[in-house]
Amino acid sequence: MKNLLLHNLGLKLIALGLAIITWIYVNGELIK
Amino acid sequence: MTFFIWDYIKPTLEIIILWFVFYRILVFFEGTRAFQVLKGLTYLLIAFLLSQIFGFDTLNWLLTKFFAISIIALLIIFQQELRHGLARLGQRHLFSIGLEESEIIAIIEEITSAVYKLARLKVGCLIAIERETKLQPYIESGVLIDAHISSEVLQSIFVRESPLHDGGVITRGDRLIAASCLFPLSDNPNFSKIIGTRHRAALGITEQTDTVVVMVSEETTEISVAADGRFIPIVNRERLVNILKDLLVKETKKKKNEKPAPA
Repeated sequence: MKNLLLHNLGLKLIALGLAIITWIYVNGELIK
Repeated sequence: MTFFIWDYIKPTLEIIILWFVFYRILVFFEGTRAFQVLKGLTYLLIAFLLSQIFGFDTLNWLLTKFFAISIIALLIIFQQELRHGLARLGQRHLFSIGLEESEIIAIIEEITSAVYKLARLKVGCLIAIERETKLQPYIESGVLIDAHISSEVLQSIFVRESPLHDGGVITRGDRLIAASCLFPLSDNPNFSKIIGTRHRAALGITEQTDTVVVMVSEETTEISVAADGRFIPIVNRERLVNILKDLLVKETKKKKNEKPAPA
């Protein structure tokens, strides 16, 4: 389980960052 | 109260789905030339978002125009990866030679035996095992043989005195279809500077098709297997057999399980 979480951690964090940025951006646009 | 909880769950769920999609895209492109481009695009996307937040109109205008034309640029830059990806989507079965498991294991034994004998003689070799994607263009670049796969035939093709020893051989099912075939060379920046032409050819064909390649380096007599644009290190004979079984036999089993039962 620990290995599954830590495997490709860098890519997982980049993907998480991109997901959060995209969500905030798109929601901001929708509210406008 | 239910609506209140849903307000929290919905964005979390959305972000998890987005994360999964982005992660799969990054994993798909990892280690390829396209990954560098993707990294560059990520920086541009961040710059674009920052310019929006801080209200930098000029930068915003430039980046908006850039993103509009970059769609065409992306199609050209990612051409190879898109082709590879789409070809994989269209593949229902990865190994479709219609052989029994015992027959595939016999072929694996013949190839393994040939590869180890050639390595002992310090002779290089390149054997491409066709799976779902047909290798017809590469077969046409070589000399047609159409022989039963055997360790002796493979050895006699690759010995230095043979007129067919340059290039690679292609196998389809239990037949050795052609020898002296030319394969596309990989231009993967992570490998191209440190590996020889035979290794680049092995990588090249596995990047563009679902072929499995077994090769022996003439310089180091090292044995390698290449699949999906990556090298799999081989430490001993048993490992080579197991890897080939994983790549060839398991896929055939999957295919058989997908077949509908006879009426």
